[in-house]
Amino acid sequence: MDKSMLGDLDSLPEEDKHRMSAMIDQLQIRDSLRMYNSLVERCFNDCVDSFKHKSLQKQEETCVRRCAEKFLKHSMRVGMRFAELNQGAATQD
Amino acid sequence: MAANSAPSALDKEQIFGMAEKEMEYRVELFNKLTHTCFNKCVENKYKESELNMGENSCIDRCVSKYWHVTNLIGQLLGSGRPPM
Repeated sequence: MDKSMLGDLDSLPEEDKHRMSAMIDQLQIRDSLRMYNSLVERCFNDCVDSFKHKSLQKQEETCVRRCAEKFLKHSMRVGMRFAELNQGAATQD
Repeated sequence: MAANSAPSALDKEQIFGMAEKEMEYRVELFNKLTHTCFNKCVENKYKESELNMGENSCIDRCVSKYWHVTNLIGQLLGSGRPPM
């Protein structure tokens, strides 16, 4: 979700544009925080299984880093494909 | 809503309300899609941080199929959903 969709709202009066823009900002913030929480939950569940120590073991830390990176790359790719489909772009099967 | 007159303050509120709901729906759709396709396509062993070719193809197809299902269900439910 980004402000590029505001291009469609160009014909709106300024105050309405501001209101939509503020709405999108709020949604973005809420979404970012949600993403943060869900990423932590996912990577914790997938990478941490033993509680012999309080601190993260090297292997667990590596796992969490990979998990987060992988999910973010995945999320970007999904975003690209989603945008293509939204625009009605036909793609190969 | 009269076609000829400017929208009343109440109409405007309704329109903004609907627009907000529509945007929230899209955000939730995207989030569910992202999580679902990650679960289906990416193993939770995390041997590396890159996505390999197989995972990339799976993701593309998963997104496409999820999209088709969304449209299909939308049709089945009738015009309850605002048009994409």
